[in-house]
Amino acid sequence: MGRPGAVIEVDRNTPPTLFHYGEGVRLEKLPLGSRIIYAPDPMEPVAHTERAVRRALGHPLEDDPLKELLRPGMKLTVAFDDLSLPLPPMAQPDVRQLVLEEVIEMAAEKGVEDVHLIAANSLHRRMTADEIRHIVGDRIFSTFYPDQLYNHDAEDPEGNVLIGTTSEGEEVTLSRRATESDLVVYVNLTFVPMDGGHKSLATGLGSYRSVRAHHTVDTLVNSRSYMHPPDSALHHSCVRQGQLIEDTVRCFHIETSVNNHSFPAVANFMQKRETDWTPADQASFLAIKQLTDLAPPGVKRAAFHSMRAPYGLTSVQAGQVDAVHDRTLETVRRQMLVEVEGQTDIVTIGIPYLGPYNVNAILNPVLVVCMGLGYLFNLYRGRPVVRQGGVVIMAHPCRYEFDSVQHPSYIDFYDEVLADTRDPAEIERKYEQCFADDPWYRQLYRKSNAYHGVHPFYAWYWAAHALQHVGDVIVVGGERTAVHHLGFKCASTLADALEMAEQTVGRYPSVTHLRLPPLFLADVQ
Amino acid sequence: MKFELITDLRTVRSGWHWGGVRPASWPEGAPGVPARASNLDWARQEPVRSLRWLIQRGLSAPFARAMTGLRVEGAEWLRDQNRPAILAANHVSHADTVVLLAALPDRVREQTVVGAAADYWYQRPMLGRLVGLWLNTFPFVRTGSAQAVLHSSSQLLKSGWNLLIYPEGTRSPDGRMGRFTPGVGHLANETRSPVVPIHVRGTHRVMPKGRPYFLPAPVEVRFGKPLEARKGEGSRAFTQRVEDAVRNLGQGTAEREVMGSWIDRWRAAAPQNGGR
Amino acid sequence: MLALQYVRSMPAYALVRATGGHATVATSDLSMLHLGDVPEPALPGPAWMRVRPNLSGICGSDTSAITGHVSLYLDPLTSYPFVPGHEVVGELEDGTRVVVEPALGCLVRGIAPVCARCAEGRPGLCENVTEGAVEVGLQTGYCASTGGGWGEVLVAHESQLHAIPDGLPDGAAVLIEPLACCVHAALRGGARPDDVVVVQGAGTIGLLTVAAVRLFTPPKRLIAVAKYPFQREQAKLLGADMLVAPGEVFQRVRFATGARRLEGVDRPLLLGGADLTFECTGSSRGLNDAVRFTRAGGRVVAVGMPGEEKVDWGPIWQRELTVTGAYAYGTEEMGERTFELALGAARDLPLKQLTGPLFSLGDYRDAIAYALHAGRQNAVKVAFDLRDLRA
Repeated sequence: MGRPGAVIEVDRNTPPTLFHYGEGVRLEKLPLGSRIIYAPDPMEPVAHTERAVRRALGHPLEDDPLKELLRPGMKLTVAFDDLSLPLPPMAQPDVRQLVLEEVIEMAAEKGVEDVHLIAANSLHRRMTADEIRHIVGDRIFSTFYPDQLYNHDAEDPEGNVLIGTTSEGEEVTLSRRATESDLVVYVNLTFVPMDGGHKSLATGLGSYRSVRAHHTVDTLVNSRSYMHPPDSALHHSCVRQGQLIEDTVRCFHIETSVNNHSFPAVANFMQKRETDWTPADQASFLAIKQLTDLAPPGVKRAAFHSMRAPYGLTSVQAGQVDAVHDRTLETVRRQMLVEVEGQTDIVTIGIPYLGPYNVNAILNPVLVVCMGLGYLFNLYRGRPVVRQGGVVIMAHPCRYEFDSVQHPSYIDFYDEVLADTRDPAEIERKYEQCFADDPWYRQLYRKSNAYHGVHPFYAWYWAAHALQHVGDVIVVGGERTAVHHLGFKCASTLADALEMAEQTVGRYPSVTHLRLPPLFLADVQ
Repeated sequence: MKFELITDLRTVRSGWHWGGVRPASWPEGAPGVPARASNLDWARQEPVRSLRWLIQRGLSAPFARAMTGLRVEGAEWLRDQNRPAILAANHVSHADTVVLLAALPDRVREQTVVGAAADYWYQRPMLGRLVGLWLNTFPFVRTGSAQAVLHSSSQLLKSGWNLLIYPEGTRSPDGRMGRFTPGVGHLANETRSPVVPIHVRGTHRVMPKGRPYFLPAPVEVRFGKPLEARKGEGSRAFTQRVEDAVRNLGQGTAEREVMGSWIDRWRAAAPQNGGR
Repeated sequence: MLALQYVRSMPAYALVRATGGHATVATSDLSMLHLGDVPEPALPGPAWMRVRPNLSGICGSDTSAITGHVSLYLDPLTSYPFVPGHEVVGELEDGTRVVVEPALGCLVRGIAPVCARCAEGRPGLCENVTEGAVEVGLQTGYCASTGGGWGEVLVAHESQLHAIPDGLPDGAAVLIEPLACCVHAALRGGARPDDVVVVQGAGTIGLLTVAAVRLFTPPKRLIAVAKYPFQREQAKLLGADMLVAPGEVFQRVRFATGARRLEGVDRPLLLGGADLTFECTGSSRGLNDAVRFTRAGGRVVAVGMPGEEKVDWGPIWQRELTVTGAYAYGTEEMGERTFELALGAARDLPLKQLTGPLFSLGDYRDAIAYALHAGRQNAVKVAFDLRDLRA
C-alpha cells in the first residue's frame, strides 16, 4: 500500500493545482491557506487474479462453494454490472470477464446447459455489442451472444415479474428469467461505496416500478450520503428489496473491487499529486493542455473516451450478499477514505469528461450537475466537506450539447422541465410520470441505446441533497446561457468565482479543493 | 545420307490432309493414351506458399472484408480442428472462395486447398496457374471418373490439407441452395474426415452467376459444428445430413445438432496452448 | 395625388427576379414600383365613397409582389397599374374613422344576383372578380380602379367600410385586416379543446393567428414557432403556451404530443404529432416541416401567403392530411362578419405595440427594406403614415 490520502495546505511553494475541465484540463492557483484533498495512492493489486477468483468461488462467505450449487439440467442466470462503472472503463481484461470466465468454466464442467448472461443495466441504456464484448471478453461473447447474452430490458412487459412488496410498501420487480432460474449469480464491481450489495440485483434487474421506490427526492435528501450505505435511506430501501429477492430467488453474489489507478500512462499527471509531477508529467500536461485547447470537440471526445484505465483487482468475494458486501466495502473504504478535519466555506471541483451516464457520449449540462453536485459532492462520510450554506465552485465548459442517441429524454428535460422549475420535488411531482410513460422514450430505451425516459430525473434528484445544502453554485468557464438555465452562477475565472462566492459566505472564506479523480471518500471529522 | 525432309514432309502432309478436313471415312478418334495427371504440387510448395500468404493476407482477405463487411459466426469450430477436415459450403458465386478463405482463421486458411472444377478453371493453363497460386486450388473433375478425383482428394486430406469443396457441384443460378452430390459423403467415409458445414449468404449479390464483375454487398458466413459419419452410415445418408446442416445454418438455426450446445462452443473457444 | 404605383412590366420583373428580390433593386427606378403623381380614382357608382388613409400597412403579400416572389397564379386576377395597400385605416370625408374590408365581391361590384360563393358569405372567393363596376381584382390594393392604401385617396364601396370604435387607436386598427384573416383561419382550423395546435411563424400573421386561436378556439396547448426572441415575447403575450425556435420544432412538438420521432434523411418526422397546424410563413421549409409534425389525419391550414414552393407531397398523401388554405374574410358560419369579430377581439388584445415603425410615403424604399426583415429588427407591422400628406 502506498501513501494514505492527504490534505495539503496551499503555501507559497505549492505548485498550481490541476482542475479537470470537461474534455480538457486547467492549472489553477488556489488562494494561500486553501486545502487540497488527495486520494490515497493505488493499493497493491492481488498478485494472482485467477487464483483469487477461484479461491473466492471455492470458499464463499456463508454459502456453499459455487461448484456444489451447479448441477446438470438447472437454469442458471449470470447477471453482471454494466459499463457505468468503473470510470474510465477498465483496460481488457475487465475484472468481470475474469470472474465470469471462471463461473462459466464451472458451469461447463458441471454440464449446465441452460445458461443466460444478462447485463444488469436497469434503466441505463442498452450496451452495444462491442461494449458487451469489452466487459465479458471475446470468448464469452462468441459463445453466448446474442441469444444467451443480452441486456436486461426493464420495459419488457413479458420479461419482468412483480415478486412482492416490502414492509415499507416498496414494489419489487425482477427479470422473469431471473425469477425462473434455479440460481442467479451476480458478478459485481464495487467502484464506489454506493455500488453493490443488495442494490445490484434490486436495481440492476429491476424495472421502473422497483427503481422508483427509492430513486425519489425524499429518499435521496435523506441519504447523507448515499456514498456511505449505513446513513443512506436509498440503501436501506434497496436492502429491503434485496432481502425480498433473496427469499424468492436463490442468489450467489460475487463482488470485486479495484484500486484507484484510473489513468493510463499518457495521463499519469492526472493520477499523481502535483508535487510528484516529473518533467515527463509536466510535458504531457502541457501537450494535452495544448491539444485540448486547440482540437475540435469531436476529436477531443474521441481521444478522451478511448482512454482505458489500468485498474488492479484488490478484492474478490463470493457468497451471501451481506457478508460479501461488508468485506468488499472494507477494501473499498481502505482505498478511498481520507480524513478531513472540519467543513469548509467553499469547495472547488474540476468536473472531468466522464460520468457514469456518458460513457462514449457527451457530458451534457444535466449530467454536469449530476456529476458535480450528485456524485462528487456526496463522496463524504459523516458531514459534507462544504458547510451548510457554503458554495460549490465547479469547473466545466457546460455547453448546451446533448447526445441525441443516448440522452433523448435529457434534451426534453432540459428544455421543458428545467425551463419551468428546478426544484427537485416539484419536478418529481409534475413531470416524472409523463416522462416515464412517453412511448417514444420507451421505444428508444428498448430498441436503441437510449437511457430510460426518467433517467434525467434521477440525475437531477441525485443532486437534490446538495441543492438543499449549499448556498450557491458557481460554474467556472461555463456557457453562460446553459449555466443560468441550470440555476447557477457563471464565472470566467476561478478568481472571479471566489470573489463572487465571498458575497455568499463572507470575507476570508476557507477553501477546499477536491482533487479527483482518482476518487476518494472524505471522512469529515 | 540423303536429305529427304522435303519428301517426307510432303508425304505426311498429303497423308494426313494438312489443312483439310478429317476424312469422313476414318473411324471415330480418341486420345489413345491416358491423360497426364495434372500435377499442381508446385502450388503447395515453397516459395509459392509464402507468396500466396502475402497475397491473401495483404490483398485478397482485406479486400474481401472491405467489400462485404464480412460477418462470421461459429469460427470457433475451426480453431480446435486438429485433424484435416472437409469444408463443405453452398455455392452461389465465384466470390464464395475468396470470401470463405477470408472468413477462415489464419491457421486454417494456410492449410486449406480448394476444389476447383477442372473443366472450367483448368481449360486455360494461365487461369489454372493463377487460381492455383492465389487460392491454392486443385483440379476437381466433375465429369467422368469419380475414382481419380477421390484418389487425389484423399491424398490431399491424408497429407494434412483441409479441403474446401462445394458439394452442389456448380453455382446456384438464383442464390438458392441445390442438392448435394454424394461425393462429399463418399470422400468423408473414405478418409474418415470430419465435415464442417458452411453456409455463405450474400455473395449472390456480390457476383451472381453470369455477371462478369462484382459489386459490394454484405455477406454472412456461418460455420457449423463438424459432423462425422456415424457407424454404418452410408455415403448418401451422410451427404444428406451435411446438406441438412448447411441448410439449417442458412436458416439461422440454433439447433444443437448444427450449432452445438454452448458448452461445446465454450470448449472449442478455449485459449490455445494452455493459456490458462 | 401622391401614390406608390405598381406597374406590370416584364423587363422589370425579370430584373428583380434575377437579383433574388433584393430590396435595393426591387425598389429602384427600374422596378415595378414607382412613386409619383397619379390620377385620383373616380367613384365607380353611387354607393362608393372616398377614403383618405391614415395608416396603411405593408403586408407580406405586398413585399412578395414587389420582390417578385408572388405566385404568378395571381397575375390574371389583378389589374394594372394599381396602388398597393389593403391594410387601411382611414377617414371618410365626414371625418368618420373606418377600416376597409378589401375584398371586391359581387356586392361591391354591383352584380345581382350574387355568385354562389358570395352567397355563402365568402366574397374573397367571388367568381365575378372580372365583372362589374370596377376592374379585375381580388381586393382593394390589387385593382386598378379603386386605388389603394399607399396613396392619398382610395374609393370604397359602403359595404367595405367598418367604423372604428373610439377607443381603438389607428396603430391598432391598421391590424384589423390581418387580424380578420387570422380569425377566419382560426375558425377554418376549428381547433377542439383537447387539441395541440402549432402556429408556425411569428410575423404579423403568425402572431395574430396565435391571438385568434386563443380567443376563438382555445386548444389544450398552443405552440408558437418563432425565430426571434422579440417574436417569442409577443407570442407569449398574445396567448401561446409554448415558444419554440424553428430548429427545435420537432423536438418540442414531439414532447408536447407524446409522439415518436424518426430521423429522416433530410428532416425528421413524427409518428403522432400536432392535431392542427397553422402555417404562417408561406415558405417551403415551413410547409415541409408542418406536414411532418402534424399527426396523421390532422389538418394543416396555410395562412401565410405561399408562392410557388416545393413541397414533398409524400407525407400529405400517407398521413391523409387535410391541407386547407385560409385566404380572407366574409361572413363566418355563426353569421357574423369576420371584420366585426376582429374589431370586437381587438379591444382585448395588445395590438398597438405590434405596429411600427411608421414611414412616410416618400421614404418607401427604407420602409420596404425594413419590412422585408421586420422580425430581425424587432418589428412586426411596418406601415406608412399618410396623415402628414393632408396637413
